[in-house]
This record gives sequence, C-alpha cells and structure tokens, in this order.
Amino acid sequence: MKRIIAMILAVLMMATLFVGCGGDEATNDGGAAATGLEPEAGATLKVWAPDAALEVFKAQCDAFIAQYPDAGIKIEVVAQGEGDAATNLLNDPEAAADVFSFACDQLNRLNDAGVIMPVNTNLATDVTARNSAESISAATLNDLLLAFPETGDNGYYLVYDKSLVSDEDAKTLEGVFEACRKANKKFIVDAGNGFYSCMFPFTGGLKIEGLEGELGDVQKFNDYDEAEVVATLEAFAKLFHEYSDIFFATSPDKISAGLAEDPSTVAAGIDGSWNASTVSKILGENYGAAKLPTINVNGTDKQIVSMHGYKLIGVNAMSKFPNASQLLADYLSGEACQLERAEKISWGPSNTNAAASEIVTSNPAISAILEQAKNSVPQVNIASTFWDPMGNLGNNLFKEDAKYDTATLTDLLNKTIANIRDE
Amino acid sequence: MIKSYKLRRGLTNALVYLVLAVLGIIWVSPLVYLVLHSFRDEGLATVSYLLPKTYSFKNYIELFTDTATLNFPRWFMNTFVVACFSCVISTLAVLMVSYSFSRLRFKARKPLINVGMILGMFPGFMTMIAIYYLLKAMGLTQTLLALVICYSAGAGLGYQISKGFFDTIPRALDEAATIDGATSNQIFWKIILPMSKPIVVYTVLTSFIGPWTDFILAKIIMGDMRDNYTVAIGLYTMVQKEFVVNYFKRFLAGSVLVAVPISALFLFMQRYYVEGVTAGGVKG
Amino acid sequence: MKYIDYMQLNPFQRFWYSFSNALKAFPGKLKNFFVAIGAFIVKFFKGIGKAVAGYVSRFVKGDWAVKISYIVMGFGNMVKGQFIKGLLFLGIEIAYIAYIVFFGWGYIQKFPTLGTVEQGMQINPATGGYELMAGDNSMLILLYGVLTIVLTAIFLAIYFASTKSAYAVAQQVAAGEKPVTFKSELQDLFDKKFHITMLAFPTLTISAFTILPLIFMILIAFTNYNKAHLAPGKLFTWVGFDTFSEIFAMTEGASKGATFIELTKWTLIWAVFATVLNYLFGMILALMINKKGIKFKALWRTLFVITVAVPQFVTLLLMNQMLQEDGAINVLLMSLGIIDKGILFLNSTPLIARVTVIVVNCWIGIPYTILITSGILMNIPADLYESATIDGAGPVRSFFSITLPYMLFVTTPYLITNFIGNVNNFNVIYLLTGGGPSTENFYQAGYTDLLVTWLFKLTMNSLDYNLAAAVGILVFIVCATLSLVTFNLTKSAKNEEEFS
Repeated sequence: MKRIIAMILAVLMMATLFVGCGGDEATNDGGAAATGLEPEAGATLKVWAPDAALEVFKAQCDAFIAQYPDAGIKIEVVAQGEGDAATNLLNDPEAAADVFSFACDQLNRLNDAGVIMPVNTNLATDVTARNSAESISAATLNDLLLAFPETGDNGYYLVYDKSLVSDEDAKTLEGVFEACRKANKKFIVDAGNGFYSCMFPFTGGLKIEGLEGELGDVQKFNDYDEAEVVATLEAFAKLFHEYSDIFFATSPDKISAGLAEDPSTVAAGIDGSWNASTVSKILGENYGAAKLPTINVNGTDKQIVSMHGYKLIGVNAMSKFPNASQLLADYLSGEACQLERAEKISWGPSNTNAAASEIVTSNPAISAILEQAKNSVPQVNIASTFWDPMGNLGNNLFKEDAKYDTATLTDLLNKTIANIRDE
Repeated sequence: MIKSYKLRRGLTNALVYLVLAVLGIIWVSPLVYLVLHSFRDEGLATVSYLLPKTYSFKNYIELFTDTATLNFPRWFMNTFVVACFSCVISTLAVLMVSYSFSRLRFKARKPLINVGMILGMFPGFMTMIAIYYLLKAMGLTQTLLALVICYSAGAGLGYQISKGFFDTIPRALDEAATIDGATSNQIFWKIILPMSKPIVVYTVLTSFIGPWTDFILAKIIMGDMRDNYTVAIGLYTMVQKEFVVNYFKRFLAGSVLVAVPISALFLFMQRYYVEGVTAGGVKG
Repeated sequence: MKYIDYMQLNPFQRFWYSFSNALKAFPGKLKNFFVAIGAFIVKFFKGIGKAVAGYVSRFVKGDWAVKISYIVMGFGNMVKGQFIKGLLFLGIEIAYIAYIVFFGWGYIQKFPTLGTVEQGMQINPATGGYELMAGDNSMLILLYGVLTIVLTAIFLAIYFASTKSAYAVAQQVAAGEKPVTFKSELQDLFDKKFHITMLAFPTLTISAFTILPLIFMILIAFTNYNKAHLAPGKLFTWVGFDTFSEIFAMTEGASKGATFIELTKWTLIWAVFATVLNYLFGMILALMINKKGIKFKALWRTLFVITVAVPQFVTLLLMNQMLQEDGAINVLLMSLGIIDKGILFLNSTPLIARVTVIVVNCWIGIPYTILITSGILMNIPADLYESATIDGAGPVRSFFSITLPYMLFVTTPYLITNFIGNVNNFNVIYLLTGGGPSTENFYQAGYTDLLVTWLFKLTMNSLDYNLAAAVGILVFIVCATLSLVTFNLTKSAKNEEEFS
C-alpha cells in the first residue's frame, strides 16, 4: 500500500517537473478542475479555525464558495483552538469539523486514530512544491502527505525592549542577561515547559528523529555527543543560576504583562509567535524581535536551537464531502490566503513565495521566527511522553537547589531520554 | 476571685477576637484581591504589585459588549437555566432515594445502600467518554439538556446527608399516619416533606452550585458548540494560552459575577444550610 | 482494662488506648468484612439457583397459558384477564428483541474480539482522493456491548418476573379468586411497594450514567487501549491482567511501579493531613466563633463561609497566580521585609510544594467544616462543660476530653466521606501545581500528583487509557474497602434506628 502511494507520488513529482512550478496560480484561480477534482454539489462543510483567525477564515471561505457558484456549497466557520483540535476531533470525529486547523505535533495522534484524510494525490504535488520543505516534512508521516501546511511560524523568538537591550546585546544570551541586570528587569522564558526547555539539549546537538519500535510509539533520537549536550546544559544552568535575580521561568503571558506595566518590569523574554501582535503594540518603536541568541559553551558561541512547529490544515477522514473538503483545505493553505493572513493577523507563511514577500520580510516577529526556523528541530513525530520529562529537565537547570555538575547533568539527560522512551 | 475570673475571660475573648480577625483577613484577602483586580484598568494579565493603580468598569463592560468570540452573558444564562433544572431534578432524586432508604423497609435496602455508597468512589475521568457516546446515541450531545441529565443523573447517590436527616424524624409520626389510613405516598408528601425544609434547602443549594463549577465534563459534551458553553468552561477558556494575555482581567470580572449570585444565595440560606447539614450529615 | 481504670487516664492516654484498640481490632474487622462479602456472594448465587429452580418448576406445574408465557411474555396474564399488565410484558419483549436485532447483536457478536476489521484507506482513481474503508471501532463495540449486556440482564429480570406473574395469576384463578386488577397494583405502587416507585427513576439514571460507564471503564483496564491502539483507526483487544502487571513492573528508572507506590504513599499522606487539619482547625474556629461572649457571630462566620461561594477552580487558579515567584504573596512578603527573594512555593523542593498544597487546601476546606460543625457544637450539652469547669479543666482539656470525642462520635460518616473526597481531590492539585515539582523518577507524574491526577495525565497527555483505568480500579479498591469496613463497623450504621 505504502509503496504504491510512494510510486504514485514519485510519478506525479516527475510530472510536475515538466509542468513547471506554476502550481500556485492554478490552485488559487480555481484551476483545480484540471486535477479532475470537483466539490460535491450542495456540500455543507464545517471549518475549525482559531479565534484570532476567525474573521479572516470566514472571508476566505466566502471567496472559496464564490469560485464554485454552481455547486451550492455552504461553509460554517467555528472557533476552535489549534492546541486541542486533535483532542476534540478524537472525542467525536463525526461531529467534528470537515476541515480543521491544528498544530503539527498532533499529527501522529490523528494518523494513529485514523481520523485524518491524506492529501488528495492530485493536489499533493502542488502542495509539496509551493511550501517549504520543512513544513512539508512536518505534514508527512511514512512518506504520505497527510495535511496542508498553513503556517510556518509556530515557534518562539527573542523579544526585547530596545530601549534597554540593544540589538548587539540581543545576539548573545550573556549579553541579554547582562542588559536585563543593568536595567534591573526580568528575563522570562517558560523553562519548565517541554516546548521551550527542549531548546537546552537541542542546542547541544540532541535531535529527535521520528518514532520507532514495534508499535511505532517510541521516540527516536539521533546519535548525539553526550559530552557536548551535557556541556551545553551546564552552560545554561550556570547562566540561569548566575543571573537568578533577573531570570524568571514562568509562562510567556507574563512577558506582555510585565512589558505593559508602568514602569515595565520585563526587559526581554522568549515568547511565542501568537503573542507577537500584543507585544509589538505595547513596545511600539522599542519593539525588538530577533532569532534566539547564542550561548557561550566552553569558549565557543553556539546558536540556540529551538523546536519549531507548523500549523497544518487537515481534512477529517469521516467527512461526508471529501472532495470539497480537500479543495477547501487546498485553497485555504494556498499562497493568496497565507499572504492575506500574514498581512491581517501576522501569521508567518509556510508558502515559499509568500514567505519571501514584502509583507512578511517587513514584519519583525515573523521574520525573526522564520530566521530562527533555520536553527530548529521540527516539531514532528513527537511521542506523547516527550513533554513531561523534557519539562522536568528544564526545571532542573534553573531550580535554586539543583546541582548542575557534569555527573548530575549526565544522569539527568540519560534519565530524561529513558523516560521519554518509556524504558 | 470573681474579678480575676472576669479578667481572664476578657483576656481569652480578646485573644479569640485577635485570632478570628487575623484568620478572617487571611481568608478574605484572596477574594478582596480578586474583586479589586477585576476593576483594574491598567496592565495586562498580571501586575507585579498588590493593589491596582487605576480602577474602572471596563472589564465588566467588555464582558457584556465584546461577545463576538467569548459570549459571557449567553453562557451565564445557559448556566442559570441548567442549574435551575438540574437542581429541581437532583433535589427530587435525592429526596426520593433518601426517603426510601430511611423510611421504607424492603429486601434490597441494605445492599443498595452499600452499593450507593461505593459507587461514588470511582474516579470518573475515564467514564466521561462513555457518557458522551451514550448521550450521542440519544442524539443529545452539545445540548443543554445533556448537561441537565449529566448533573442530575447521579444525584441520587448523594443520599447520605438527607437520609441522616430523615432518620432523625421520629417513626411514630409515620405509624400514626398509617393507622389513620395514609399511604406511604401521602406520608412522604404531606408529612415528611413539610418537615424537611432545611435538608431541601441544603440539597437545592449544593445541586445549584454544581453547574457553575464543572469545566471538564461540560467541555467534553459541548465540544465546539460555544453558544452552549457554561460560564465554567467559558472562564476556563479565558485562561488558556491564546486568551490569557488579553482576557485575564475579564476572567476575574466574570468570576466575581459568578460568585455574586451564589454568595447571595448562600448568605440568604445559610441558616437552613447549617440546620440541614447538622441534622443530616452527622447522625451518629 | 476496667472502666474505673479508664476513667483515671488523661485524655491523651485515653485516646491512645482507644486508638490502639481500634488498631488491634482492625485485622479482625477486615476479616469479618471479607467473610461478609463472601457470604453475600454465596447468597447471591444461591438466590440465582433458587430462581432457576422456581423457573423450571413453575413451567412444569403451570397450565398451557403459563407455558406459552415462557415464550410470549404476558400471555398468561392476558388470558386470565390482566390485559394491561400482559401487554406491558409483551411490549417489553418486543422492544428488547427489536433492540437486539437492529442494534445489539452486531456489537455483542464482536464483543469477544472487540473487532477484527481494521479501518483502511484507498485511493479513488477518478478523483485521486483517499477514501475511508470503515473498519470496526473497538471503543464503540466495547461500549455498546456493555450496554447490550446490561439491557439483557434487566430484560432477564423482567422475564423472570413475568413468568412468575403468569404463574401467580393462574394459581389465583385456579383457586377461584379474582385476578388482581391493574388499578390495585398501581395503588400498591404508592403504598406497600412505594420504594419501587421512588427508586425507579434514580436507579434508571444512575445505571445509565454511572454504572454503565463504570463497567466500561473497568473493562478498559483489561484491554490494550493506549497510544498505539487508538480507536477508530486501530483495533484494541482483550489482554487480561497485562495492564496490572505493567503497573507493578519494577523496572529501572522511572518505572510505573515505583511511580504508583510513591504516589499512593503521598495520596494517603495528603488525604490524612487534608482531612485531619481541616477537621481540627475548622472545629476550633467554629468553637471560637460560637464562644460565649464573642460578638458579631454572623459576621465572623460569613467572613469564612463566603469563600465557598466563589467557584473552586477560580480561587485555585488565582492562588496559583498568587503563589508564583513574582506573585502577590511573594510581593507581600518582600515588601514586609520577611524575605528578600521570591519563594518558589509550587516548584522548588517537594516538601515546600506539598506543604503549600496542604495549606491551600485548608483555606478551601475549613469553611466547610465550620459550616458543618457549628450546629453540632451547639448541641453538645452545656452541663458537660460546666462540670468539667468545676473539675478545674481548662479549655484545652475540655476540648480534648469532651468536644473531640463527642464530635468524632457524631461525625464519623462525614469524616469518611471527606477522606475519600480528598483521595480523589482532583481540583486542588491539578489547578494549583499541575503535579509539580517535576521529577525524573516518576513516569508522567510530579511530586504532588495524586493517583487521581496521575490518572488524568495518563488519559490526557500520554494516552495510556488502559493504564489509567487500572489505576482507577486500584484507587477504588482502596477507598471502597476502607470506607465499607469503617462505615459498617462504626456505631453510625448500627444505631440507624436509634431515633425511631
């Protein structure tokens, strides 16, 4: 089965080489007819979109309907956060949306439960061609493209108050900390949360490489250099303890809250893309956004490696109107729609053309996150047991009474990995 | 001697006042914090100082005007309706069960009392998905009726306190009525119920509060149907990642609004509550 | 020890004496408890045997109409003039058969395997799209299988009753009596059989929404429903006791076994502290408020009780904010100059976090104790205290020798329910610490996690549904045994008729 699909994919990919890369216009102008795909007449679809994007999605769905005036399509856009889309979908797939937006770490679960419909083979080639390779790999499991990349920015970046932390300071973690101390203001990162704390071992060269094991539920790691990872962890722990007066490990919403105070109590932090518009409004022209800084490990400056996620649009396997759903998902994830969302709600695109556009490059937060994406481990194929032990690793780096000598940290690292792998 | 006794009593009382005052402050201060910050005008989610610097009704007003994404007034009404219905049904169920267990004698009584007691001890999380699909089979998911059913279906299991209360009513009353030709049905409605005001009030109160506080089961049942959310799910949504930055102050305001009717009810009915629970909860 | 010796002990010695007696008696009580359960099971099966014997003998002895009633329910009643009752029986039979034919059978026949056809996908060459090839949904098979079994059990009970009723009415007619009319049977339901009327509705809803889901949950513990076997995409099946051996497996590192044992210990410690502290301090506060000569009683009580009115999850989320490193409590302590750097109440050492949650739980629980104990405290006969005062006992002594014993005696049921409630106290831990501080020594749990929050994390985060169900069963066994033993052997159950 898989082999057949792979072969079909390969053939189709060859075909695109001849056709060229003109896929974008084709989809956005309703040229999908060329693929032989037509929406079912009278299709009634439900779409799940996060609150922030509800209005944009509604408008875009109306535009989609207008492309097929004869089909009599009806679309209802319902608010549903991307974070628990999978949970809600699994609760009752039949009552869930036909087309839904979700964060890519839920892909495994959706696939295991058999509730996500792979991308139509006639659309897959074009989808693959127009999106960044990383976003496609985030939407692919076992060589099968399961969802349409929607954004390329589900990650975190360094945000700072330019009046306190200079652009030069922001290049190194030491510089940021020093500037924060000088201003006597906080630096906030949610270091006890697995989504953020994985950056500590990742910076040292640890990587996740999909899943393995008999049941395909065990996290696979790369062949990492243990000494290197431990040395990096040690460097982080040392900095956190040294600057414990300004270093606060707490949820990212405290960054915007602290910046909004008068006088502000926060100078910098590592914040998620979803808060970017709030923060930039607060700081105005002092808004600084950059990729994550470097950290000095035994004399060499190392770029901090983050976990980088993508938001995807999926089609419910139980949808009564699979063709219309596929076409809608394709449309919503197309270049024009991504660009519109980048403009209106500052969502970083996964589409390569859109990512290169003026709108995106001039948005500091999006470009910082897309820049950081180059130094990141994609958030794909993550075991459900990953987050809890990883959060614990982070906790043990900054806790006041935690030891951080090489032996302790080696032990911690090994235990963390063993716990993630449930060994 | 008498003087020193008086002095000692005065001293003890002073000490008691002191302890009560200190503890009272400790108990009330989080609520004061809640109320004050629900009126806070400046800042976003949290601030790093204790007392707000500026006050306004903005958070409350927004709760009722900015209803496009999170429709608080609608949720408030939903919860109120669900609470009213489920408290009527639950109260009836509790009274029926506890009356049967207390006054009627039948073969299965003892085993049922024991079964009823242990049923409440299973941690319920795994059962939620089963409840969901049962409701789905009845075509009730995502409706307020489903919530009413969930909140009142198991109510009969909370029979202990009111059974204890009924146990304290002398059986001679029933016997006299039986001799006068009254049926068990008449005894229940005409004799026992009129005497049970405290326990009825207690049951009504506890079952009325339930729907205002449950945020897990209700969320599973409602799924994406935001129009049918209750305030508990709504408030819990406001502190999730996507909302907390801009909605935390509204969360505080909403919490105050939820607390107001419940505390009013509580203060109003406190006397009955104490009587009911005293007579029922504790019979030895 | 003779009574006279006992009277000469001081309160602490008395307490110790009763306590050690209770401890010594505990094994015996536990044994009695299990003997009672055994006797109950024996009685249950004997009852079934008797029912079957009666079923057969009624068939042999009954006339033709009774014999037909064994296939067509209610036939005997109808022939003998009980039309409505007969029709009701017949209606129930038809409804049950329709249920089985149109719904139940499909699920019940797959119940032994929980499904064999796995869902798949295929490509439709015309559109290039994937199509779902629906398979068996193990979860629904399990759920509806249980539903069918429960309904069948209920139906069988009604079926037995119908044969009995057909036989009874035949006997009446044979003896020359008039069969009981439907009206008089209805009247009976409001008098002699009033308990059936009263319990019918609650029993129905409890069976559907409590018992049935519970059976479903219990059965999940015996399957491999976990992250590798998610319905509807994959099938899961019966695995017997494998899940339980997984829980007790003591592997190296953060094994589930070690986690289970450590969390059980902490759950019990927590439940004891949470219950006892709330009880003691709540009672002392209630005594203070109700003390003679203290004014504004209503005000003081309101001050404490008002906290009950704010939904618990709100106060807990607020407390969580206030207890952060830069939260209100640390700010207050720092501005008072007591500390110079914020304390991580919830996320530093296990001890600090555990003490914090217990203290916060006091804040939440004490008002309830005040509410409940106020009334009883006023009921303690005043002459007891007076004579104690005359004997020269101070307030502390009279608390320990009069108030506490009296209250303990009267409020045992409340204490037990409270203890069980604390074992299953999800909100306080989940919303306050989320289980933290984290540790690498536990599987998917932190130092303040109770068994019940661990169970929640296992379902929500790591999708180990079977493991969670098994933990749920273990929690239940502990709670049920503890409370049944104490409940049935304390005075409260025995003295039930005391006031009658």
